[in-house]
Amino acid sequence: EDADRGASADLAVVEHRRRLLDEWLAWRSSTEEDIREEREARGLPLDPVEGLIKKTDESEDQVIE
Amino acid sequence: MRPILLQGHERALTQIKYNRDGDIIFSTAKDQHICAWFAHNGERLGTYHGHQGALWTVDVDPTSTLIASGAADNTVRLWDIKSGKCLKVWDFNTAVKRVEFNEDGSRLLAVTEKRMGFLGTIVVLNIDLDPEAEQDDEKKLVIECEESKPTVAGWSYLSKYIIAGHEDGTVSQYDAKTGEQLDNTQVHDVDGLITDLQWSPDRTYFITASKDKTAKLVNARDLEVMKTYPTNTPLNSAAITPKKDFIILGGGQDAMEVTQTAARQGKFEARFYHKVFEEEIGRVRGHFGPLNTVAADPQGKGYASGGEDGYVRVHQFDKGYFDFNYEVERQARAAMQQ
Repeated sequence: EDADRGASADLAVVEHRRRLLDEWLAWRSSTEEDIREEREARGLPLDPVEGLIKKTDESEDQVIE
Repeated sequence: MRPILLQGHERALTQIKYNRDGDIIFSTAKDQHICAWFAHNGERLGTYHGHQGALWTVDVDPTSTLIASGAADNTVRLWDIKSGKCLKVWDFNTAVKRVEFNEDGSRLLAVTEKRMGFLGTIVVLNIDLDPEAEQDDEKKLVIECEESKPTVAGWSYLSKYIIAGHEDGTVSQYDAKTGEQLDNTQVHDVDGLITDLQWSPDRTYFITASKDKTAKLVNARDLEVMKTYPTNTPLNSAAITPKKDFIILGGGQDAMEVTQTAARQGKFEARFYHKVFEEEIGRVRGHFGPLNTVAADPQGKGYASGGEDGYVRVHQFDKGYFDFNYEVERQARAAMQQ
């Protein structure tokens, strides 16, 4: 009986974790979607640093040539 | 996880920052110079001298060209990482406790200390990432915090909001363009001074550490507290790990209250919690005093901690760290791959 009780408690813990993870993943995907739309609407690259890094690479390439 | 011990500071560490690639670590301490280190072997890349007081804060721009620092000498300084040259000094009325670049490195915020006759403020400066450029003198925005002094602050996604943590445990959200306060929420206890605020990689949420012995995960958009991590010690720092859903906490009782034995044995620990499940999953011992700052490698390969003992400890995560998964995480991943 003790073992049963332990097992059902474990099951409750696992179900609780599953709910937390589902909630988290759902929030992440909706937030990521919102940010993507907001960046596109403002005409910004998805990665804020993308443009900056490219600029540096190009100038380095020129030095090599 | 065998740490690399970085010895270069003679006083307590105040902040550690990784660059975006995770290969360089910058550290500040009360001993007036900034150190730069290679993350993979702990070799010192350089030091930056010029400040005339304890250093409280450092940040590196997203292209790893410049660093900014703030100190008890009431200045913010901008440095060229490669040459070590100080490019600019901005003067303030009081000590500078925190600096942070926004997501594209075009702006820098500085948090100034409250002192007789001066309110705590958050100041915004324009930055030109070209080390040859003339930097702008002007303070583009000054937010005066009349209710409770700000202790930490940072830029949200899209540089839309400035988020600040305060002495009275509240977090506030400001419009980053106008400085108007949009929201203020009691996130921590009323006497739970907020000691740290660090971002998720996309800056849509952040973690706060507080003297009230908890850390909180907060949504930047509405300041909703999404997760709480309770501990049994006052916290000085909290970081979010990329790649894995963990958070890292650092703290410890102040020297006065610490037993000699605890200090001798290096019992001060970094604590790992699962970010989503709010459960503690492990501790890493080593420092001989409270952990003042923790930082996560943006590439997810390791973390670094800085202590009151004057040491920086750099840890590379091992296979066990990456393999560690809760059953429900494994199932969720399997379901996604189908």
